[in-house]
Amino acid sequence: MSTAIESEPTFVDKFPDEARVVRAAFMSSFFALFLGAIFGIIQTLHRTDVARIIPSTDYYTVLTAHGVFMVISFTIFFLVGLFTWALTRSLDRPLINIKITWTWYGLMAAGMTLTGISILAGFVDSIDMSADVLYTFYAPLQAHPLFYAGLAVFIVGTWIAGADWFRTFLAWRREHPDERIPLQTFMVLTTMTMWYIASSAVAASVLLFLLPWSLGFIDQVNPTLTRTLFWFFGHPVVYFWLMPAYMLWYTVLPKIAGGRLFSDPLARVVFVLFVLLSTPVGIHHQYLDPGIAEGFKFISMTNTMFLLLPSLLTAFTVVASVEYGARKNGGTGLLGWLTNLPWRKPAFTGMMLAGLMFAAGGFSGMVNAGMNINYLIHNTLWVPGHFHLTVGTAVALTMMAGTYWIWPQISNKPIYSSQIGLFQVVLWFIGMALMSNAMHAQGLLGVPRRTAEPEYSGFDYPTMFGGFEELNIQIAIGGTLLFVSTILFLGNLVLTMGNPKVSGLAEPLPSPVSGAEDAPKVLDNLRLWVSIALTLVVLAYALPIAAIINRGGLLGPGVGTYPVWVAPLFDALANAAATLLGAVGDASAALAEVVR
Amino acid sequence: MGQSEAANAPTDDVGGEGEDFDPIGTLTLIGIYFAILVLAWVYIYFVEFLGRDLVVVG
Amino acid sequence: MHIHAYEKLWLALSIVLILALVGTVTYGAVGPGVAMVADSQSTVDPGALDEDERFSEPRVEQVGENEYEAYVVAYQFGFEPTPIVVPANSTVTLHVTSRDVIHGFEVVGTNANTMVVPGEVSEITVETDEPTEYGLLCNEYCGAGHHVMEGKIHVVSQSEFENRGGDSE
Ligand code: HEM
Ligand SMILES: [Cu+2]
Ligand SMILES: [Cu+2]
Repeated sequence: MSTAIESEPTFVDKFPDEARVVRAAFMSSFFALFLGAIFGIIQTLHRTDVARIIPSTDYYTVLTAHGVFMVISFTIFFLVGLFTWALTRSLDRPLINIKITWTWYGLMAAGMTLTGISILAGFVDSIDMSADVLYTFYAPLQAHPLFYAGLAVFIVGTWIAGADWFRTFLAWRREHPDERIPLQTFMVLTTMTMWYIASSAVAASVLLFLLPWSLGFIDQVNPTLTRTLFWFFGHPVVYFWLMPAYMLWYTVLPKIAGGRLFSDPLARVVFVLFVLLSTPVGIHHQYLDPGIAEGFKFISMTNTMFLLLPSLLTAFTVVASVEYGARKNGGTGLLGWLTNLPWRKPAFTGMMLAGLMFAAGGFSGMVNAGMNINYLIHNTLWVPGHFHLTVGTAVALTMMAGTYWIWPQISNKPIYSSQIGLFQVVLWFIGMALMSNAMHAQGLLGVPRRTAEPEYSGFDYPTMFGGFEELNIQIAIGGTLLFVSTILFLGNLVLTMGNPKVSGLAEPLPSPVSGAEDAPKVLDNLRLWVSIALTLVVLAYALPIAAIINRGGLLGPGVGTYPVWVAPLFDALANAAATLLGAVGDASAALAEVVR
Repeated sequence: MGQSEAANAPTDDVGGEGEDFDPIGTLTLIGIYFAILVLAWVYIYFVEFLGRDLVVVG
Repeated sequence: MHIHAYEKLWLALSIVLILALVGTVTYGAVGPGVAMVADSQSTVDPGALDEDERFSEPRVEQVGENEYEAYVVAYQFGFEPTPIVVPANSTVTLHVTSRDVIHGFEVVGTNANTMVVPGEVSEITVETDEPTEYGLLCNEYCGAGHHVMEGKIHVVSQSEFENRGGDSE
């Protein structure tokens, strides 16, 4: 780009206070990614029996940590950073009160620290605290109260963040009564609307049932009810992870490709569809639950299938925007334009590969959505295979790639090494291709997810797709590449922070080919969309929840309490099992030595 | 980081030419994707799923 | 609002795809007759399974010509009865419940797969073919010993089943 841009101020030049918040949020996010990756590699090598450095009973502490740090802290801290940047940038105005901004950041960080402590304490025998309940915390397994309390504080932090952005938007609106909502702001506001609706259910579950129960105020809970409330939140939360990636694909990727967004109105339509449809679908995680009528499951499936629509539209719009850039740069032919793209830029290649993996994840997602075919894959390793393509790559890799583009503008420091960046994003793609593909295949063999030792004494898996053992090797290699890629990303970023500040790093975003003026005004009518969304949620959930309460009662049909944080019985069992398995392991190792 | 987006005029170029742009490459790619989706779905549903033992019939 | 003709085409194809997906699942339900685990069974008190006529004695019993019912209890960390012995070429309705936490019930390599929730009873009906042995495992995390939770399903010939007195114990 030309010299005119060299004088252009970067985001941090214009909004130094906001830039500091964005950097803080990103650093929290990447710290969680670091922890998550360590636990990720431990569990990968453990369950594939390549290296078992922890007792299998600790596997579930590791898995809880991996799940919570990856999909609650890594993704959501990145989201709040990105949204703060996007809102401020697109409104071209500072947040109304930076103290409030730091307050929500502080609450989120404090909440996550509490939850993190309660999980990690599970490794220390002398502390009578643990939370081995995985990130889904299904009752009647029970975590230490600190786990639930921390989550509640974290969620309240995100609510205040949303309020901060809405208030800033309203202040802007008073200054610009007649302008269209800028696209990035529109994305922030619609996503947060969805988040308020979705997170209300999990907040209710935690505050009304799980926290009082873990504190001993109530004796029991209804496991189907708390599970249903979790999934009421649990499906839209996947879109909460995804929307930052969509925002980057819609607004930043076309720019890096040398083009512009193909259609602003369609982007708005897509985000509105997510507000409307992402919540009344959570029952698709409960297709195989007893106690929920088949009709409710079918309704949930139909909604889910229509939720494919915004993503399919996104695929077209984003690729078309990239093609536009390529053709502007001299690209020709039916597919020859693909060579006229900036593949050497890690931000571009990372996002494109992330998008490609999302397309693959789209297929396994269709399978997950198909009600009766759920018998085939439910709770098998197919499912983690699927979501490592979606949240684990489409989202995670886009966030890493986006960081290469945004970080210089929020810090005035150029990226330490673009080559390492490029290598790292490609390595992630290769590692994930291996790991995820083999996970899908093992799932079809019937290998369960969430299991420390998926080999059983009484039977073998059928041999297909190369067989259980060979697939284990692929998973282990893939996981290792992913771990290396994460370390390269983090190392690159740390070295970037050591770079001296320079000027001229601004990258202004061009306006779309078909702009906001082409979008029907009704799209910006958030009140309308909220009321339709709430209506759909009531239609989808009122009857199932009433039926669940009617069947089991508000506090469950006599279900007990199974704390995984203070239970000598469990510990005894765990130790016995560990010793036994250790002995078996040693014996077989000795045997293997002898045989050799 | 210019003025707010809504007020942003396209600065760098092709201006109105955008209207004439036909994303034929995109259509091709996405057509291929569509075909893969359909084939993979037929395989997984009819061969992998319905072909298994112990189909749940009630 | 201006939408490019190609994008309209893609929108139409997408809707066709969505309808085809819902259509396939509907076909699976009405053609081969795949049914979902649902709310057909009444709830049960997980703390008092021995007082429930269905689960006081986990078992397989004959209820009609070629029709059998199995009552299975999942617990930390196993299944009862084990093995679950059922006759070949018959229709078997499995009723599975949990005595403690949430479990999974997955017959490895088959479509028999369900969640097991304390207080609820999962009912699935399957048809067996030739005599064979299937592995059974828990596919929902249920505590520190989750990975040792397994069982077996033996599909045996009708005569062998009768010799066992129709019971799996
Ligand atoms: C360093 C790269 C990574 C590796 C090696 C890795 C490996 C794994 C493995 C093997 C499992 C399955 C464990 C089991 O079911 O027994 C798993 C689960 C999971 N992973 Fe990853 N993963 C990585 C990155 C990510 C990322 C980036 C995310 C999301 C942003 C993610 C989210 C999850 C979640 C949510 C689970 C499920 C946890 C549960 O079942 O409770 N992972 N991971
Ligand atoms: Cu979902
Ligand atoms: Cu289990």
